[in-house]
Amino acid sequence: MDINHDAQEGLQLCGESVRIPEKSFKKLVEITFDIILGKKDETSFDASNTLDSVNPGTLKEAYYGLVTLVIEAVKTDSSLTDISSYLEECKWDSDRIEYLNKVFSGTRPDIQALLSSTRTVFPHIVDVDWRLDYYVKNKYLDKVNKPTYLISLKTEESNKNGYSDVEFSCSMEQLQDLVGKLKDACKSLEKASQM
Amino acid sequence: MLLILSQEHKEHLRLLSDLQVEVAREFCRISLEFILKGSNPKIYQTAAQKLGVQVNQVKQAVEGLVYLFNESSRLMIGEIDFQDSVMTLGFSEELNKLLLQLYLENRNEIRRLLGELSLELSHYHNLEWRFDVQLASRSLHHQTEPQILLKLHTKRQGDTDSQIFQTDPVNLVHLTSELENALAEMKTAHCRRIVRNIK
Repeated sequence: MDINHDAQEGLQLCGESVRIPEKSFKKLVEITFDIILGKKDETSFDASNTLDSVNPGTLKEAYYGLVTLVIEAVKTDSSLTDISSYLEECKWDSDRIEYLNKVFSGTRPDIQALLSSTRTVFPHIVDVDWRLDYYVKNKYLDKVNKPTYLISLKTEESNKNGYSDVEFSCSMEQLQDLVGKLKDACKSLEKASQM
Repeated sequence: MLLILSQEHKEHLRLLSDLQVEVAREFCRISLEFILKGSNPKIYQTAAQKLGVQVNQVKQAVEGLVYLFNESSRLMIGEIDFQDSVMTLGFSEELNKLLLQLYLENRNEIRRLLGELSLELSHYHNLEWRFDVQLASRSLHHQTEPQILLKLHTKRQGDTDSQIFQTDPVNLVHLTSELENALAEMKTAHCRRIVRNIK
């Protein structure tokens, strides 16, 4: 695994039971994963009594090492064996390695999902709303008498909360064209999935 | 449905009944040109001099015709109703025929122009799509994530706009089937009944 020198030092500190006792280690791992997943923030370290015994500088370095390890491992899809052998090099005992692997296995899919959504993306279509109107007349024209669809695409963006709407109208023919093209896309997707 | 012409409107058009059909035809041509291409008040002066009438009379006659064609087109007056409506103006039969012919010839174009004036939402123009499989990104290597890129072109009063979206296979299928439902809705008894009854 390609982990920079500072982070490696942090991991080595994390494995030293003299500096970080067993209980504090578990708490540190737990909080670190919660922070990565966005469930907690870094103030949790100050709030935890279990971590009082640890030197703040050490704690900081160890945390830095752990975060780097976890993110890097998920990013490169490293196996548990890879992680274990790396931690052995950092002089971790087998209990700590096992504990970390256990927590890691449980949260890996979530971290993967998080990392896969951390990128620049186009607005992602997640739903569609439609409305069918019969356009009867307007100020300038009587007897227009055409069906008109109002389509609203619901989109999600990774850097924004909630949905945004993209609205446009369609005549019957235009909607037929749109649906035809979407069906083409579906078909080609189906073909691709059978390859 | 008959076109109800006001007394004032009839007064304005009275000039035409005193003219030869050929001259009246020219008036019609000018008024249609005004509708389709915009007005040109200079013509009034010349025409008034030639015919030896007031500029204002020419202007009113032309504008009267413009109004006649516009209103008939707006209300989509039928052939027979148009004839009956024009009859009240007391024109010669030949001129009546001419008006009808010009009305029928130009109705669609006038309706198209009137349609352009109305409020318009941006509407669908075209859709392009592309099927990708995302293999890696900076934050996550080793992925196989199918995704569909969609480029939607919309148009609003002649201006085209395009936006790019992406979606996943499940949502694409959902989007497609939902819009198919929308299309199918138009064929239901309820919608057909409404369409039949609004004429």
